[in-house]
Amino acid sequence: MTTRTMANAFLGLVFFASGAAHAADAPCAAATGGRGEVRAVIAATEALQKALSPAQLSALARPIARESAIRWSNLPVGIVPRAGLRLGDLDATQSAAAHRVAEAALSACGLKMLDEIRAADDLLMAVDERKIGWSGGNYYLSVLGKPSAKTPWMLQFGGHHIAYNFTFNGARAGATPLFFGTEPIRFSVDGVTHEPLAVQSTAMANLAGALSAHPQARLSGTFTDVVKGVVVIPAPGKMPTGGTDTGFPQTYPTGTEDRGILYGALGPDTQARVRAALESYASLPGDAITRSLVAAYEAPAALAQTYVGYAGTPDLSTKGTYVRIDGPRIWMEFVVQPAVANPSQLHYHALWRDKTADYGAEIGK
Amino acid sequence: MKRLAGAALLCLLASMAEAHRAPNSFVRLDIAAHAVRAQMLVPQSELAYALPGEPGPRIFADYLLQHVAIEDADGARWKIEVRSVRSTRYSDHDYIVAELVITPPAGVRVGDFVLVDDAVTHEVRSHVVIITQRGKEDRLLGQLQYPARRLTVGRQ
Repeated sequence: MTTRTMANAFLGLVFFASGAAHAADAPCAAATGGRGEVRAVIAATEALQKALSPAQLSALARPIARESAIRWSNLPVGIVPRAGLRLGDLDATQSAAAHRVAEAALSACGLKMLDEIRAADDLLMAVDERKIGWSGGNYYLSVLGKPSAKTPWMLQFGGHHIAYNFTFNGARAGATPLFFGTEPIRFSVDGVTHEPLAVQSTAMANLAGALSAHPQARLSGTFTDVVKGVVVIPAPGKMPTGGTDTGFPQTYPTGTEDRGILYGALGPDTQARVRAALESYASLPGDAITRSLVAAYEAPAALAQTYVGYAGTPDLSTKGTYVRIDGPRIWMEFVVQPAVANPSQLHYHALWRDKTADYGAEIGK
Repeated sequence: MKRLAGAALLCLLASMAEAHRAPNSFVRLDIAAHAVRAQMLVPQSELAYALPGEPGPRIFADYLLQHVAIEDADGARWKIEVRSVRSTRYSDHDYIVAELVITPPAGVRVGDFVLVDDAVTHEVRSHVVIITQRGKEDRLLGQLQYPARRLTVGRQ
């Protein structure tokens, strides 16, 4: 099975379940996908492990340590090599087993996004022939530490445009850092239209549209990418290094200046849009992973200290458009950038961090 | 031939790394007993948001003097001189390269100091300034991103 058909086979699993002619219309919360329950994720992981060769098992298992945890990126794997089990190398049985791990850990929304983003990467191979790793096969699965119902361990799915980093049994519930993006924004495979970030981009556009009525919600400055993402370190005459989460732990804005408008200053409709945007990100992992996080973010005391802001064009139609939710713990960003493989178009990057619980608060400096 | 192929691959990978992420600024410090030399690489695409137009060397040098400084522990600013300004292309982006010499008051040896730089970051929120100490292998000293504009550097 080729890499391309591998990713499409993953898609087939999803759309067989949804039966949708337009994937973006599918009610992803009601189709396939699991709840992120640790025992179900462990069971799926152990089933996958039984299907792997010793070399593949070795690739899958990595230590639960800072160096392993921060090794996610939004750059193609030809630029920032990933560790872990390469999904494009799996046979059909192994691929199905790996998909069941994703099904157990992710909601239907999160699963659909993973599958569609991989398919988008497949399309880039035809648009951009540079050999830098566009491919739905170049997505990796890692298990950091030993899967356990009691002690901390991490599950990572990562590739060019997605980084799921879930920590189980950590000091705090760990759904983040969670990066996702897409290029192209919308595409068709076998007559079916896909829009991987449809839910999140719509929610953020709805929020920005409402915020545009509030001058104090407009953020100053220019945004050319997410603010708290990975950092590439140039080295003249040499290959740039970094490109991973070397900036962790991040520092965040404090005070009241240039953070947007407080949630409490918004009307009920706009407040609902804030929560909808928040939940569009938080609904990607299974709800067993995110339930306590959403509760913390939406607690009245937390919302009272939550700022929302935007820059650019509320309908997300121009590069530099940016939307942010910035609370005591929550940090969610959405940015519109020029596309890379096809520079005449735009593409999206999005990032969810938890200021106190990235990597389950298990990883230090 | 193998070396050429390797160089070509390096160029391609380097260009893609920066092309996919908006390019960062880079400050390389050479810390001597009585002066700090700073090589600043500022990507023109990001600078354009902070300093519109196509600034010539003199305008860019004057601009840097407004946004870059070194202070001692007491907050006193050292003398700063922009020795040269040129253009270069690295990693598929156009950069302006400025060579600066910053000196403490006469008779004062270089100790711990604070580097101030917001040449791009005062406007571009996603921009990062990477600061290294030059050497056989540059050593990462830290990074600056809005609203941070000051990095304490200890002399080693």
